[in-house]
Amino acid sequence: MGSRPGGRGKRRLQCWAVTAGLLLLGCALSGALLALDHTGGFVSMIFVLVVVLVARLTDGYAYGAAASFVGVVCVNYIFTYPYWEFNFTISGYPLTFFTMLSVSLIVSALTSQIKRQEQLRVETDRETMRANLLRAVSHDLRTPLTSIVGSASAILENDALLPPQQKTALLRNVRSEAQWLIRMVENLLSITRMGDGTARLSKELEAAEEVLSSVAGKFQQRFPGIQLTLTAPREALFVPMDAILIEQVLMNLLENAAAHGQSSAILLSAERQSAGAVFTVRDNGLGIPEEILPEIFSPALPGKLHAGDDRRNMGIGLSVCSSIVKAHGGSMSACNVREGGAMFRFTLPMEESEEVLS
Amino acid sequence: MKIKDRVLIVEDEQSISSFIAAVLEANGYDALTARTGSEAVSAITSHCPDVILLDLGLPDMDGMGILKFVREWSTCPIVVVSAREHERDKVEALDAGADDYIVKPFGTSELLARIRTAIRHTRTPLPNSDIAQSGQFRAKGLVIDYDKHQVLVDGENARLTQNEYKLVSLLGKHAGRVLTYDFIIRQLWGPGAKSDNQILRVNMANIRRKIEKNPAQPEYIFTEIGVGYRMVDPD
Repeated sequence: MGSRPGGRGKRRLQCWAVTAGLLLLGCALSGALLALDHTGGFVSMIFVLVVVLVARLTDGYAYGAAASFVGVVCVNYIFTYPYWEFNFTISGYPLTFFTMLSVSLIVSALTSQIKRQEQLRVETDRETMRANLLRAVSHDLRTPLTSIVGSASAILENDALLPPQQKTALLRNVRSEAQWLIRMVENLLSITRMGDGTARLSKELEAAEEVLSSVAGKFQQRFPGIQLTLTAPREALFVPMDAILIEQVLMNLLENAAAHGQSSAILLSAERQSAGAVFTVRDNGLGIPEEILPEIFSPALPGKLHAGDDRRNMGIGLSVCSSIVKAHGGSMSACNVREGGAMFRFTLPMEESEEVLS
Repeated sequence: MKIKDRVLIVEDEQSISSFIAAVLEANGYDALTARTGSEAVSAITSHCPDVILLDLGLPDMDGMGILKFVREWSTCPIVVVSAREHERDKVEALDAGADDYIVKPFGTSELLARIRTAIRHTRTPLPNSDIAQSGQFRAKGLVIDYDKHQVLVDGENARLTQNEYKLVSLLGKHAGRVLTYDFIIRQLWGPGAKSDNQILRVNMANIRRKIEKNPAQPEYIFTEIGVGYRMVDPD
């Protein structure tokens, strides 16, 4: 919030507005009540309340202190006898001022402390997520690397003994494991591209159909046997996005459909809806096991899926997808289709949100 | 004896350079390797390769420096090798005169295709000699008629606007090559034009709806995201 240089000035203005607004409200309320009851004993209480609210709703100490000062002046000048005149000889007056000031300082201190703790918690969460991811990745990298080293040594050390078909099979194995590693690294690069979550994405308006066709081209090179059908929006649809990251999302979804869902046909489409640009990847494969559906985008998934099957990349791929979509201010969902197969769908906002622009 | 096309591989990683050399030699090319920028410069000046495969990240010298050095005196085709996360690099390299780019990690078939295209383009001195002879560009069902200023799809006039026609005809003249957004804007609207590629994209979206059967699965004009457009090779 306050960390963005552009947002800081705006936030400061907001704080002053809150301070001024609450003080005016306090004055108005006191004035109204004073018309009913001339003793005015409640005026200080009202201003104490105003000071508490100001200190709670603004950043730092300045606004609360300013509010308590103005409050004291108001109480003295306007709302206590003699009206519209300063009178510093009223007994207990320094006490009122002292009370207001200390209340404001204490509440401000508590507020800043809460905010700091909140920030600390977010950082810890992020750290934990990173550590989990790193653990999952290291675990997942070891398997293909072992297989690559093993296959290569087998060929080098037993060159004369191995029949050609077996050598070819081993080399194929090396290639497919290395390709898997490349995909994994691409996902990791996407994470670094998003930075630590505070950096802004480099968004540009991209035509949805161009992104779809670009992904489709790359996908068909890897999986030529799968029938891929693309549907473009009837009107050209320009969506603000980081195209490299969104391509990564679509690629992960397509690969999951092909590798884990064992689909033979995939539908890929983009359309404009009221919520934004909706991208859909629908396949005719095995679908998603019901037991993992609720936490399918969680980074904790890879460990659970790891039972030696070929689903290694799925968890990381999907959690990367969902982080990318979230970083764009969008949302993502997954479900099974009644006719068979899985459907992944994500929505990207069409307009830059106000927060991004500020 | 058959004279082979000579490819210079400028790449500092020994393992990558040796695998590329093996693939090229197996496919009938003469492969030379250079591991540093200075080696590359001396190899280019002494051997005059037919194609240069240039990795942009070299230890002693910026790859862009070599590109600019070669472009001062030679039109030898240069295919730039870049990494995925440096997408600005390949646009800069294309604008500085590189003929094509390939992104690491690449497959051997992709590599061979790029080298073949790059060599073919030097053999045709004009951007596309067919156009000079027949006044037409033909690729599958698409015909660009440069004399009549119209584009036909499966024999029917696609009814492009003037800007759309200018864009398609430019891509047709450089078919097979990626043209960057900046290059296209400069060619279409002059050197002073604001390099805002939004107008270009809107034009392209309209063109695609006029000439492609399915705009999401184009047959003729391909998008290289973040870089530019490429027209399919002519028949």
